[in-house]
Formats: sequence, C-alpha cells, structure tokens
Amino acid sequence: MQKVAKLIDTTLCIGCKACEVACQQWNDQEFTMGVFNNTYQTMPSLAHNFWNLIQFNELEINGAQSWLMAKYQCMHCADAGCIKACPAPGAIVQNANGIVDFNQDNCIGCGYCITGCPFDVPRLSPTTKKVYKCSLCSDRVAVGLEPSCIKACPTSCLSFGTRDALHHNASKRAEELRADGHAQAGVYDGPGVGGTNVIYVLKHADRPQDYGLPKDPHIPWTVSLWKGPVKWLGNAVFFGGLLTALVHYIKVGPKEAHRDE
Amino acid sequence: MNKPRIERFTFPERMTHWLTAISFVYAGLSGTALWSRKMWWTASVLGGGETIRAWHPIGGVVFALLLALMFRRWATQMKIDADDRRWLAVSHKYAIHDEAGVPESGRFNAGQKMLFWVQSVSAIVLFASGIVLWFPELMPRGLRLIAILTHPLAAVASLGGIVVHVYMTTLVVPGALNAMLRGWVTPGWAASHHAKWFRAVQRK
Repeated sequence: MQKVAKLIDTTLCIGCKACEVACQQWNDQEFTMGVFNNTYQTMPSLAHNFWNLIQFNELEINGAQSWLMAKYQCMHCADAGCIKACPAPGAIVQNANGIVDFNQDNCIGCGYCITGCPFDVPRLSPTTKKVYKCSLCSDRVAVGLEPSCIKACPTSCLSFGTRDALHHNASKRAEELRADGHAQAGVYDGPGVGGTNVIYVLKHADRPQDYGLPKDPHIPWTVSLWKGPVKWLGNAVFFGGLLTALVHYIKVGPKEAHRDE
Repeated sequence: MNKPRIERFTFPERMTHWLTAISFVYAGLSGTALWSRKMWWTASVLGGGETIRAWHPIGGVVFALLLALMFRRWATQMKIDADDRRWLAVSHKYAIHDEAGVPESGRFNAGQKMLFWVQSVSAIVLFASGIVLWFPELMPRGLRLIAILTHPLAAVASLGGIVVHVYMTTLVVPGALNAMLRGWVTPGWAASHHAKWFRAVQRK
C-alpha cells in the first residue's frame, strides 16, 4: 500500500492559522483559551486538545530579521518512538498507509510515548488520563478525504498525497528555492526515524531548530536500549536463573544440616 | 518429645519480610506488563492496563517503605566483614556443599548480605526512577529518559537476586522457609548454617 503524507512548504505559510481552526473543528475539540506572550502563537506548545500549532519564530539569520512559521504536529514516523515505548497492545497503531494513530480505548496513560517521541508531540489529558495527538485525520483519509488542516490551507503551503509524490514535489521546490538564491533550502523528513510522513520544505534546512524541529531526530537511545539489549538481559537473568537452579538442584541438591546439636 | 527450638526471626521481622514479599510480587508482576507487550497477560490478570497503571506505582511505594523498615532493622547486621569476604571468594565451594574452607557465618551469611545490598540499592533506584515515571507530565524530559532505562535495569537486578533467594530458601536449605514463616530453627540447623550465630545465641 502507498504511504500517504503531508507536505508543509514553510516558505508559503502566511500564519493565518486556518489549519489550527480546521483541526479543532474537525476533531471536535473544546475551545481552549490561547495565551498571549508577545508573539502571534496561539499557545506555547501543543496540548491534549490542541494538536496542530503554528509556531512563530522571530529571529535574526545572517543579519536579516526572519519570521519563520512552522506547523507543529505529529510527524507520523516510519520508525515511531511512541510505538516502541508503548506497553499497551493496540493503544498506538501504525496503519498500512503510514499513519500513526492513537486508540484511547487501549491507552493506559503511562506517558511512555511522550518520552519515546523525538518530536515531543503526544500530550496527556489531565481529565481522561489518556494521551492524544494528531491522527493525520485518519478518519477522513480512510474515506478518501484529505486531512482537515490541508483542506483549510488558503495558500498551497499544505498538500496531501502519496509519500513518493510529495517527496518529489518537496525536492523540486527546494531546488527552486536554491535557484532563487536560498542556498540552504532543503527537505526535512527525519531520516533518523526511518523517514516521516510529514515532510517539510525549509528555507534554512541547515538550522531546523530555528523552526522548532529537532536537528537529527531519532528514537532516544535509552528507549532503544531498554526495548533491545535490556530485555535480553532480563530474559537471560530470569530464565537463566531458573535453568541454573534446575541444574543445580538435580546435580547438587539441597544442603542438609550436617551438625547435630 | 519436643525438639529444642531457637528463635531465628522475630514476629515483626517475619511480618515485614512477607509484606515486602507480597508487594514485590505485585509490583513485579504488574511491572512485567509495562516491561514488555509480550507480558501483557499479567495486566489482564491484575485487572487491566488502567488498573495496573494506577496501582503499580502505589505497590512500588509500599514495597520501598517496607524495604526501608527492613533496612533499618538489619543494616547493621548486614555489614560485610573479613570472614564474609573470604566466604564470597570461595562461594563456588559453598554452592556445591563443599564446606571445607568456607568460613562460618553469623546470623546472615555473605550471600544473604549480598542479596540485602542488591535489594537496597536497586530499591533506591527503582523508587527514584519510579517517581519520575509516575508523573511524566510533571517531569523534565531528561529525567524521564534516564528513568525509562534505569527503572527496568534496577528491576532486572532486583529480580535476579530474588530468583536466587527464593531457590535457596525453598529448595536448597531445608528449614529456611520455616525460619521465616514460623520463626524458629533447630540447634542442628543453626550450627550447620550459621555457626557463629549459633554460638552467640548459646552464650546468652
């Protein structure tokens, strides 16, 4: 099956937040009061009931004032850290089309996915004690519709399609930008997590942190170590211990009291 | 004729031990469900995922508190002395019941003392990392990343010690289980397994 993806051409984002509103509306989120902290940003970060945030990053790059707007939501990683860390079967599923979806019925609210996620996306609800994030509108995609954020985007900043086609478009766009003199323009799609199904075109691809994106995202090594070698160590200790005990008992047997007082 | 009996563990010692054991089994079983999806059946047995998510930390805190009581009661008796170090050096001979050259033990032999220290240290790590994992929304990411690795590592160390402990006390040393359940041992048992302690008790 073809992987689906979302392309975010940050050079075309005008910061209108139509995608935020569409996300809130389609996913039936309660109204959340924003926070004013001297930026245009709706709130400081994602929330359990706010899955799609435009980050407004004002900074100076090479002496020029830059206003980098970047959409912040689940990246739908091929090698998803949330799935790796999650203990509850069926709480996080990866669909054949690449969408990583949370199923709150099976979620136990341990929050391991929050720690496993290299992009710091999942959020725990203080009321339901379950974790929530962008589903890439899996309910819409399943019936052939594009995700609500893409539907609402008034520029062509956001587009939806197969991963291969969008990757091609992203590379072409980055090439255009470089031809226009933006030498550092490039594609951001998290190779460290097997590729993400959300693809960015960045004018400053050499400094993704300025867009609020991690420079080299990968599943945290402590999570990988736990889910790999530490599990084998645990198996070896437990089953090796039982086997050793069995062999010892059969070969050596119990230690009888040898002194009579 | 009644055999003479020597008190090995007092009633408070035995109660503390067994309550600690029960909390260990609960925290351990519920913990294995969080450790691996292949062990999820333990969560099903214990009331489901949400139940163990709520109660595993509480069971862990109870375990830590009870272990702290044991620590306060036994820490001074668990000091590793020169005889213990020699005992550990020849523990392979102890394991095959070749007792020649194995130093006599006091109330606790060096193996039991090792178990005590392994459990104490791993309990501290389990408690500290467990608090972090309990409230992920309040903890900085760096701490959570450390805790998610150190918690299972300490659990493996603790479990490894308990596998040996349970095997030794139920199968290898007849009378040891009764000592912890009913509190007494026979003089022959005491002289055989804890000669220094036996002589000290006799002197009293």
